[in-house]
Amino acid sequence: MEDISLHILDIAENSLRACAKNVHIRIIEKNEKLILEIEDDGKGMNEDQLQKADDPFFTTKEGKKFGLGLSFLSQAAEETGGNLKIERRTGKGIRISACFNKNNIDMKPLGDIKKTMRVLKASHPEVNFVFEQIVEQGDSA
Amino acid sequence: MRLLEIVNKLNLTVLSGSDLLDREVIGGYVSDMLSDVLANSKKGNIWITLQTHVNIISVASIKELSGIIIVNGRKPDDDSLKKAEDEKIIVMCTDERAFQIVGKLYELGIGKNDENV
Repeated sequence: MEDISLHILDIAENSLRACAKNVHIRIIEKNEKLILEIEDDGKGMNEDQLQKADDPFFTTKEGKKFGLGLSFLSQAAEETGGNLKIERRTGKGIRISACFNKNNIDMKPLGDIKKTMRVLKASHPEVNFVFEQIVEQGDSA
Repeated sequence: MRLLEIVNKLNLTVLSGSDLLDREVIGGYVSDMLSDVLANSKKGNIWITLQTHVNIISVASIKELSGIIIVNGRKPDDDSLKKAEDEKIIVMCTDERAFQIVGKLYELGIGKNDENV
C-alpha cells in the first residue's frame, strides 16, 4: 500500500465487519513519532484472535485463509522501526495503535486522509466516523 | 524452465521447499511493495524482492507464485521459513542485487515472451 490513508481504509473495513457504530481515527504526532490510532466499538476480539491478529495466515472471514490488513499495517510500522499494538477497549471494541518513526526514510506518506474519510462516511452513513489530527508538544528527550 | 535449473545457474541458496524444485517458472515479477505484487504478479511467476517479512509468504501463496528470490544477502526469520514450508512456498536467497538477478533470469529466457507487459 502506497500511503497511510489506504491502510486506514483497509482497517476501517474490519471495524465495519465487527458491526461498529463508532469508529474513531486519530493521528497523533509527537516529536519524531507518528501514531495512527483506530478505535471502534464493534464486537471486538477474543484472546486467541488478539494473539493472531497480525498473522497474515489468520482471518475471521468465513471461507478465507488470509487476512492481510493488520499484517501489512504492522509491516509498514516495523519498516520505520515502529510497531503495532492491538488491545481490547474496556467496555467494547478494540484499539489499534500503529507507531511510526516519521523521519525514517521508509515512512510512507500520509496520503489523502480527508478523501478516505469522505469515502468511508459516504459508503457507510449509518456509522459515525470521527477523524482527529493531534500535534502534541513534548520534550525531545 | 524448472526452478532447479534456475537455482543451479544463479547459484541460489534454497531456504524452504527444497523438495519442490521441479516447479515450473512462468515469467517473473520484481517489486518490494506487497500490494503491487498482489495486483500485478501472475501465477507461476518467480518473485524477486528484498522484503523478508512473513507477509511475503502469504502473498506468494495467494498469487500461486513459483518461488521467491530474496536479494542483497537478506533472509527471513525462522518462523517465516516454517510458514513457507507449511505453505509449500520456495524461498531462495542470494548476496547479489535485484538488478543482477533479474538480468540473469532474463538472459535465461524468463519473461522474454511475456505478452502483457
